[in-house]
Amino acid sequence: MISFIILMSIVVCFSAILALALNFQWGKGGMVNFGLSGFYTLGAYAAALLILKGGANAFVATVGAMLIVAVVCGLVALVTLRVTEEDYFAIVTLGVGEMLRLVSLNEDWLTNGALGLAGIPRPFGASVPPEMYPYFLLGLSLALLAFTYAALTVIARSPFGRLVRAVREDDVVAATLGKNVLWARVRIFAIGGAFIGLAGSMHSFYYQYIDPTQFTNIVIAYAFMAVIAGGRGAHLGTIAGAAVVMVLLEGSRFLKDAIPALNSDQLAAIRIIIIGAGLIALLIWKPQGFLKEYRLRTEERT
Amino acid sequence: MYIIQTAFNGVISGVIMTLPALAVTLLFGVLKFPNFAVGAMMTVAAYLAFALNAQLGWPLLAAALTAALAMGVLCIAIDQVTFKPLRERGGITLMVASLGLGFILENLARFAYGNAARSFVIELARPFRVADIRMNYEQMITLSVSATAMLLMWFLLSRTATGRAMRAVADNPALALVRGIESPRVIRWTWFITGLLLGVGGVLIGMDRALEPPMGSNYLISVFAAAILGGLGSPLGAFVGAIIIGVVSELSTLVLPPNYRIGVPLVAIALVLIFRPQGLFGQPYIRK
Repeated sequence: MISFIILMSIVVCFSAILALALNFQWGKGGMVNFGLSGFYTLGAYAAALLILKGGANAFVATVGAMLIVAVVCGLVALVTLRVTEEDYFAIVTLGVGEMLRLVSLNEDWLTNGALGLAGIPRPFGASVPPEMYPYFLLGLSLALLAFTYAALTVIARSPFGRLVRAVREDDVVAATLGKNVLWARVRIFAIGGAFIGLAGSMHSFYYQYIDPTQFTNIVIAYAFMAVIAGGRGAHLGTIAGAAVVMVLLEGSRFLKDAIPALNSDQLAAIRIIIIGAGLIALLIWKPQGFLKEYRLRTEERT
Repeated sequence: MYIIQTAFNGVISGVIMTLPALAVTLLFGVLKFPNFAVGAMMTVAAYLAFALNAQLGWPLLAAALTAALAMGVLCIAIDQVTFKPLRERGGITLMVASLGLGFILENLARFAYGNAARSFVIELARPFRVADIRMNYEQMITLSVSATAMLLMWFLLSRTATGRAMRAVADNPALALVRGIESPRVIRWTWFITGLLLGVGGVLIGMDRALEPPMGSNYLISVFAAAILGGLGSPLGAFVGAIIIGVVSELSTLVLPPNYRIGVPLVAIALVLIFRPQGLFGQPYIRK
C-alpha cells in the first residue's frame, strides 16, 4: 500500500506539472490548448528518443524535450495567431495534436509505431539502490514540481506576467497600450509548452515504456478539469485540482472490484463521463474554481 | 483512371461532410462559437439509429429519420442545460464546455455499445460500374440524401420566416432583437436543425465506414476545415468547402501516406487563414 501511495504521488507530480502548464497557457494567458495530449506525446517521445537513439543523459533529454515542445508550441501560435482569433486557434491546436499522435503511431522507423518504445532508462538508475528508487523518484518529481511552481509563479508576478493577464482580459487594450500581443501570445504558448515537455519526459521516465495508447483524450479532459477546479490562474489551486482529479481517476480503478457487472471499457467510459460532467458543472456554477488567482496587492493607505 | 476513381471517392466523402459542416457553420453563425461536440453528437445519433435498426429491426430509413428527429430534440435539451447558462461568458468558455460535452456523449456511446465496430443492417448489393468508376448502392443513398437535405436547407434559410430570422440573428443579433426577432426561439430552431443535420450525417458516416465511438470525432477537424474554408457562417461555403476538402484529402493519398490524410484539412485551414481569413464565401470577420 505504501508503494502504491508513492507511485501514485509521482503520477500526481507530473500530472500537476502538466496542469500548471495548461494553467499558464489557458488560465493565465487565455489560450485554449485542445492539442494538449499531442504536445504531451511529443514531450514524452522526444525525451525517450533523445536517450534511446541520441545517447543523451536524462538531464539533457529532459531539457531537449522541453525545448522541442516549446519551439513547436511557439510556431503553432506564431503561424495561427498572426492572422486570426482564438476560435480558429483552438481548432488548429486540436488538429496539430492529432497530427502528433498520428506521427507517434505511424512513423515506425522513429517511434516504433503501435509497439511503442521500451527500455527507457531511469534517471540515476545506476547510482540509486533499487529498493530506494521509488523514494528517490518521488523526491525528484517533487523537486521538479516545486521548480515548475516557482518558475511559473516568478513569471506570473513579473512585468511579463502582468502583460500575460492583460492579453487574457482584453487584447485590444493591451495592443492600444503599445504591447506586442502576438509576440506575448507566442511566448505564453511556448513557455507552457516547455512545461508540457517536462511533464512528458517525466511520464517516459516513470513508465519506462511509452506507446500511443497512453496519450488519449483523457489527458486533455483531466488537465482542463484540474485547472477549472483549482481556479483558472491559481497555481496552488491547480496543483490541488490535479491531485484530487488524479486520485479520483486512479482510485476509481478499485471500482472494478466493487461493481463486477461493468467491464473495463465501461469503467473507463464512466470516468470520462464524470470528468466531462464535472467540467461543465464547474463552468456553470463555480467558474472561478476553488482558489483565487494571485493579485498584486497595493499597501493599504492609512 | 485510378485518379478519377479516387476523385469520385473523394466527392462521396466530401458529400458526407456537407451536413455536419453546415451544422457547424449554422451554429457558429447564430451562437458565435465552434462546437467541438459535433463529432460526438453524430456518434450518438448513429448509435440511436443502430438501436432502432439493428436491435428493433426497423428499416434503416425510418430508423435514421427517427434518430435525427430525436437528436434535434436532444440538442435543444443539451443547449438548455449546458450552453444557455454560459451564453454570456464568451467563446472560450463555450468551447471548453463543448469539449466536455463531447467527452460525455462519446463515452455514453462507448458505455452502451463498447469499442467494437458495428454496422447497420442493410441489404448487401453488388458494386456497379458507371463509365468504369466503381460505385455502390450506399454511395448513391449518400448522394441523394445529402442533396435532398441541402435543398431543404436552402429552402428553409431563404424561403421561410424562421430561416430569415436565423440569418438575421447570425448577421447582427442586436439589430435582430430591435426588429422583434425572438432570439431564444431562433436559437432553439438552430439547435433543432443542427441536430437533424448531425443525425443524418452520423448515419451516413456509419453507413460509409462502421459504427464505433470515435466515428464522429474522427471527422471533427475535416468538418471544421470545410466550414472554415467555405467561410464560417456561410451555408453555401460549407457545402463547397466540404466537397473540396473531401476530394483533396482523397487525392492526397495518391502522393502522401494515407495515414496523414488529416494533414490536408490542417493545411487547408492554415492556407485559408493566411490568404483569405474570411473563407471562400464568408463576409470579412469583424469581432466587436
